[in-house]
Amino acid sequence: MELGPIWRSLTRNKAGSVLIALQIAVTLAIMVNAIAIMQERAEQMGRPSGTDEANIFTLSSTAFVPDTNIQSLIEEDLKLIRSQPGVVEAIATNSFPLRQGGSARGFQLEPGAGKETLTGAVYYTDEHAIEAFGTHLVDGANFAPNQVVWGGQNGDEWPANIIITESFAKTLFPDTAESAIGKTVFVDDTRPVQIIGIIDRLQAPWRNWGEIENTVIVPLRQEGQQQWYLVRTEPGAQDRIMPEVEELLAQSNKNRIIQSVRTMQEVRDRSYLSDNAMIKMLGFIVTLLILITGLGIVGLASFNVSRRTRQIGIRRALGATRAQVINYFRIENLLISGLGIAVGAVLAIALNLFLVNAFSLTPMSWYVIPLAMLAMWVVGQIAVIGPARRASRISPAIATRSG
Amino acid sequence: MLKMTHVSKIYRTDTVETHALREFSLTVDEGEFVSVTGPSGSGKTTFLNIAGLLEELSGGTYELDGRDISSLTDSERSKVRNEKIGFIFQSFNLIPELNIFDNVDVPLRYRGFKAPERQRRIERGLELVGLASRMKHYPAQLSGGQQQRVAIARALAGEPRFLLADEPTGNLDTEMAVSVLDLLDEINAGGTTIIMVTHELSLAKRARRNIFVRDGRVSDRPPEIRLAASAGQV
Ligand SMILES: Nc1ncnc2c1ncn2[C@@H]1O[C@H](COP(=O)(O)OP(=O)(O)OP(=O)(O)O)[C@@H](O)[C@H]1O
Ligand SMILES: [Mg+2]
Repeated sequence: MELGPIWRSLTRNKAGSVLIALQIAVTLAIMVNAIAIMQERAEQMGRPSGTDEANIFTLSSTAFVPDTNIQSLIEEDLKLIRSQPGVVEAIATNSFPLRQGGSARGFQLEPGAGKETLTGAVYYTDEHAIEAFGTHLVDGANFAPNQVVWGGQNGDEWPANIIITESFAKTLFPDTAESAIGKTVFVDDTRPVQIIGIIDRLQAPWRNWGEIENTVIVPLRQEGQQQWYLVRTEPGAQDRIMPEVEELLAQSNKNRIIQSVRTMQEVRDRSYLSDNAMIKMLGFIVTLLILITGLGIVGLASFNVSRRTRQIGIRRALGATRAQVINYFRIENLLISGLGIAVGAVLAIALNLFLVNAFSLTPMSWYVIPLAMLAMWVVGQIAVIGPARRASRISPAIATRSG
Repeated sequence: MLKMTHVSKIYRTDTVETHALREFSLTVDEGEFVSVTGPSGSGKTTFLNIAGLLEELSGGTYELDGRDISSLTDSERSKVRNEKIGFIFQSFNLIPELNIFDNVDVPLRYRGFKAPERQRRIERGLELVGLASRMKHYPAQLSGGQQQRVAIARALAGEPRFLLADEPTGNLDTEMAVSVLDLLDEINAGGTTIIMVTHELSLAKRARRNIFVRDGRVSDRPPEIRLAASAGQV
């Protein structure tokens, strides 16, 4: 209603308003990009691992007596675990999703040195893996027990077959709609392996790896002294079975140590610890910035109210209602915030483009900027309400009493 | 049109009670030009503030246009001030951040007039006080007398029936004071009721009716004015 005169009177007293508008702009730009980063992290954390996470736990077994027969130790352990009531499936594996450590191998479509290779994370385990991880075979077949081989940890042995994720199949054969089943790829330049099965999804062990969905299950049991066991239980049975299995294994063979007994949920939490911390820290910074900006607005409005005490009294004497005085300050804030928000939106986009280019941040969702603009506007209107109320209580008698 | 009966006004601070008005009774009719004189601290401004609905009274009754003021809400009081009353203050009270045009515009906007109506009234008001050419100037760029004339234009733009002036010439030299008084005379001739507080007996004398305030009461004897008048001073 009074837009014109409020704007004109603002332009005659710019300094404070310009500073606050600038602060709003910077806050908006930082807020938008912090939210974009938080969103990206949250999205990463939300990706499914492809396993039945709620019902899986893992533990490691390290044999410390040099001449231990690893093959029979693993076989006995697995037999013991699988025989427990409530256990759905159990495997020995070199790694599993979210663990942050594991192996990857290069696979090539043509044999020979110097050919292009594509990298896939490899889980060395057996024909129980699909059921144990809780992933799903979408094409082809599982390994037959006799296709599983034993090998050392140097990667010299290699079985004849592998199962890969859909994502890796697409990476290997991007241009064909035809199934990857039956196709041959090569490891170590020349060793042929045949793809016999495709699973829908199984993440690689590293959360930050760009090709996290490119995973291969290899039917090879590694005879290392250190083994990871991954146990899938029936729903709700995990809390009971986890300590039981730990105890059973510890008792069954005293020549090894059982450690790192963790649920998949714990593994996930540990894996995303830093992302989680980042989200919390950014959230804290954004909150703090908004708070400081809000206080800045309160400060400027309070200053304007005191500076204009007399003017407000005059306006009241000339017929302004309390509501009209409050509106004056709200509209003034709208103009200052509007300026800050407009500049802030431009800054936010510029900063985002920079972050996308420099740190390959995912470009933010379109709605973040309008939402943040709305938020800043609300902050401004809330911040100004206290000083505006105070202004509305200034007596019109000021007009005759002081001066 | 204005009727005060036994009005009292008490200012309370932590330790002191000041009876600024006591048993103050006065009737002013439509179209009158009343001057109010009295010693400093006698309650003149207090009376004017209550008459203009800037302050609330502590006791008694005040009727404006037959309406009991004490029953009005704060926003109704604002509306009465805006529509019926024009104020002229000793210190002009223009808003320094706004130019002359916007200053005169202030009460008109609160009144809710549309832009063309406001523009018409502002231009007419400023023409009346002879400052139409200064619309884009800011108060600080005008002399005291000019500022007071802008204030008068502002007070009149809403066509109030009732003009209240507290020492309107207090900050002006004699020549300017006389020209402001001429303006008020003209306005009064147009039918607007005027109550003007002043220290200057020569100016008070120009009103049709003089009342004298002493100790928060309307005094029966405003002797100085009569004496001054009979002595033939201007
Ligand atoms: N807000 C207030 N709080 C306390 N006392 C006040 C207040 N306003 C006025 N008074 C007191 O009320 C009395 C009347 O004051 P008022 O301003 O009406 O006098 P006045 O006749 O206008 O004086 P002057 O000619 O100096 O302007 C004075 O004693 C004054 O000190
Ligand atoms: Mg006074």
